[in-house]
Amino acid sequence: MSILGELEQIVLAAVIRVGDSAYGVPVHDEILRRTRRVLTLGTIYKTLARLEDKGLVSSTVGESRAQRGGRRTRCYAVTPVGREALQASVRTLRRMVAGLDIGWEPT
Amino acid sequence: MIRWCVWLLERYVSPEIADHIVGDLVEQQHRGTLWVCRETIAALWYLRARPPQRDAFVHSLLADVRVSARLLRRSPTFAIVSILTLSLAIGATTAIFSVIDPVLLQSLPYPHADRLAIVWDRHGDGSRDDIGFATYRDLVAQSHALERAAVVGSWNVTVTGHGEPERVSGDRVSWTYFTTLGARPALGRDFRPDEDIPGHNQVVILSDGLWRRRFGADSSIIGQAVSIDGDPMTVVGVMPAAFANVVSSNAEIWRALGYAVTDPWACRTCHSLRMIARIRSNTSLGAAATEVDQIMARLAKEYPTEYASTGGMLTSLQDEVTASIRPALYALTGAVLLVLVIAAANVVNLQLARGLKRDEEFAVRLALGAGHGRLVRQLLTEGLLLATLGGVGALLIAVVGIPILVAHLPPDVPRLDAIHLDLRAFGVTGAAVVALAVIIGIAPLRRGRSTDLGITLRSSRRLASPGHHGTRAALVVGEIALSMMLLISAGLVARSLTRLLAVNLGLDPTHLLTLEFAAVGPQYQDDAAVYRRHNRVRAAVLAIPGVTSVAVSNQIPLGGNVDMYGVVDPANPAANAALVPNGDRYVVSPDYFSTVRIPILQGRAFAAAEAADTVNDVALVSAALAERLWPGVDPIGKQIQLGGATQPKRTVIGVAGNVHHHGLDAAVTFQWYVPDGQWAGADDFDRLVVRTAGDPAALAATVRQVVTAVDPTQPVLNVATMDHIVAVSTAQRRLALAVFGAFAVTALLLVVAGLYGVLAASVAERTKELAIRSALGATPQDIVRLVIGQGGRFTTAGIALGLAGTFALTRFLRSLLFGIGPMDPATLIGVAVLLTSVTLAACLVPASRAARLNPSGILRGD
Repeated sequence: MSILGELEQIVLAAVIRVGDSAYGVPVHDEILRRTRRVLTLGTIYKTLARLEDKGLVSSTVGESRAQRGGRRTRCYAVTPVGREALQASVRTLRRMVAGLDIGWEPT
Repeated sequence: MIRWCVWLLERYVSPEIADHIVGDLVEQQHRGTLWVCRETIAALWYLRARPPQRDAFVHSLLADVRVSARLLRRSPTFAIVSILTLSLAIGATTAIFSVIDPVLLQSLPYPHADRLAIVWDRHGDGSRDDIGFATYRDLVAQSHALERAAVVGSWNVTVTGHGEPERVSGDRVSWTYFTTLGARPALGRDFRPDEDIPGHNQVVILSDGLWRRRFGADSSIIGQAVSIDGDPMTVVGVMPAAFANVVSSNAEIWRALGYAVTDPWACRTCHSLRMIARIRSNTSLGAAATEVDQIMARLAKEYPTEYASTGGMLTSLQDEVTASIRPALYALTGAVLLVLVIAAANVVNLQLARGLKRDEEFAVRLALGAGHGRLVRQLLTEGLLLATLGGVGALLIAVVGIPILVAHLPPDVPRLDAIHLDLRAFGVTGAAVVALAVIIGIAPLRRGRSTDLGITLRSSRRLASPGHHGTRAALVVGEIALSMMLLISAGLVARSLTRLLAVNLGLDPTHLLTLEFAAVGPQYQDDAAVYRRHNRVRAAVLAIPGVTSVAVSNQIPLGGNVDMYGVVDPANPAANAALVPNGDRYVVSPDYFSTVRIPILQGRAFAAAEAADTVNDVALVSAALAERLWPGVDPIGKQIQLGGATQPKRTVIGVAGNVHHHGLDAAVTFQWYVPDGQWAGADDFDRLVVRTAGDPAALAATVRQVVTAVDPTQPVLNVATMDHIVAVSTAQRRLALAVFGAFAVTALLLVVAGLYGVLAASVAERTKELAIRSALGATPQDIVRLVIGQGGRFTTAGIALGLAGTFALTRFLRSLLFGIGPMDPATLIGVAVLLTSVTLAACLVPASRAARLNPSGILRGD
């Protein structure tokens, strides 16, 4: 199992949170809302492409819509392997910081 | 904007991802253009699909540039000297060409400007003159070669109303003036034939500048009367801003000429009008000139007593306009080209020296399998990098240098306003940069090709190739020769300027302030009122502390006026008008001579009472005029008539020293002086000359205020010290000296760098040879003598070649010289000595390094 980068963790979590119709803009907005981090669409799509290569997300191409200038959406969903990878990453991080006095209480 | 972003994304991002991002952007475009742009740039950055082939090329090119930059950084002296040399040479070339292009090379901004010409009276001695109105009319009537023609006379006026009174330069022109040039007013209309007759010529056309400055660009001015010299004149037109007035570049207002052939000022002996003509398209300039000459020779026969001239001349307007500045600009062009050649030689030389050091590098790279083409590319990249850096520096120098050059040009240079860093000058820079890049790139490459791998690698520079050495020596000798030519030019111009400034103007220009003041308008219609004004102005200025003496004169030496009257000796009248000497007219207040310090050689200056004495008319003449009229005879008490035999007789009461009225380098002309109260027809504008105890410039503002306060309706202008006027009159030579001087110093520095480089490299190559010589008993002095001898041979050869080149060059310099010949021995010897000592100094460092070599260490260490 591969180790996830921070960006990959964030994007994976965001895709899970958005649920259905997780494509570029909703993922971007979710990350912005929860972390105040401004990621660009380019970054997000690039990360999603990498995650898909690793089999951590899958994508389905939707219908083309007029408000998108006739372009189709590609919606992402986290695969079971992806969920496991995210869990493993978070677990690892928790273990590493448990008991450390860094002014932060792990939940 | 978004469409452009979509285009970019679809072009550069792989299609499956582009589709989604574009969709997102379109959907979310309400977030703003800035957001769309930012997202596009980021997407391009992260998701750009790179075409693999081009990538490799760009990569290796970037790698070449990086390697080149690193190599340059590692030899900073070489890099800095090369870049500075290139910047100086190309920058100076660009600057000079930017000036020359509009002034000399581009044709005048008129339709078919090559068919425009100026027509002159030609005197028996070949000299030429402006022409009279009657001659103009006859020429137009009889000529077939001239399609159109016009005459122009200068007309300087005071515009009143619409604000402060203002002195404006203008021309009185025949109604055909603008159509001859091929121009028409932007507003209103041109002059009509019925306005170009006496009494009907109260009409003017304004320049765009005057119209904007004075009349607020008000188009309703057309048809209205404006007050000019106190008279109402109707504005009929306004010329476009683009109208370039090369015939008299200062004119801002034109009035219909309104001459009749019967007017006394229309006479055939009058030389008051400049005639321009447009030659028919089917006639050559030469044919037109022949025809004009024939017609005027016929006229001279027809009216034998009225013509001093013997024929006519016709010259191209373009040549005429640039004639005064052409020699200086050609000389500067020559100088800058010399610098460019020296610089190129120097850069090649530097690169050769460097290529020698890099033999091993090339040999190793070739041995390791680098293709020859790869090395070529590397070398070309290095050359291009140097040339680009040099080009950037050159543009900086040009951008800074052009305004400085323009500021130093004499103000009468035509089309100064058209000078700017233009595309053709850019082209010159570009061509120079590319050519130098190629030269620099190829120089070491040829060595690289001839390099025998094995020998180079094994021998470790035991054999220096002699042919290559010869090239470098030839380059250095050439540089010395060229810089010799530059130094001689600079020296000759400098000595000319010194001689020129040593010319006695005829008066004492130090502590002298001059200004021009007017007496125009209805209140100054009669002479008495004008002279009363003069007295009031003089009294007011004399009261200023620090002013020791004040005088009024209608003109001053170097003032640029041509105002001559024939001087008739009633006791000995001339047979022909042409034989009457012309003298500069000076109508002066009695204290003029003591104020400007023109010496009275015989007799006396005017007494104060004579300015008011209208019965006993008196005059002073200059020494040259006295000698011309009465050679060897005492002129005191003789009588003269000024302006013709019908004029009142005046008694000569004194002889004044000659003055250089037209310029320090011009021949002395004749002058005559009359006290101002005795001259009928007072001038509208006069000069005030003020002698001060201290610095005259410090009093300028005060004097101007005081003169203005005497009558605030009258303009005061051209406040300047006499020293400044003298300096301006030598502006062209000063410019030439400044440029030649700067170029000569640059060239000398380049030569020192070049010679030093060659000798240092030679010493480095000959280390072993020199060590063997030392080991065999050569003293350090012998070694120094050996190295200096080598440099000395270069210098001697260079100086000899430079002397030969100077013969060719100084022909172009002749017009800039004054009082010395182009082969002035003092200058030649001085330059040779300077060059020898400087090159000797350049030899000393490598020579002493050679003398300090440790022979046993070197011989053992190899």
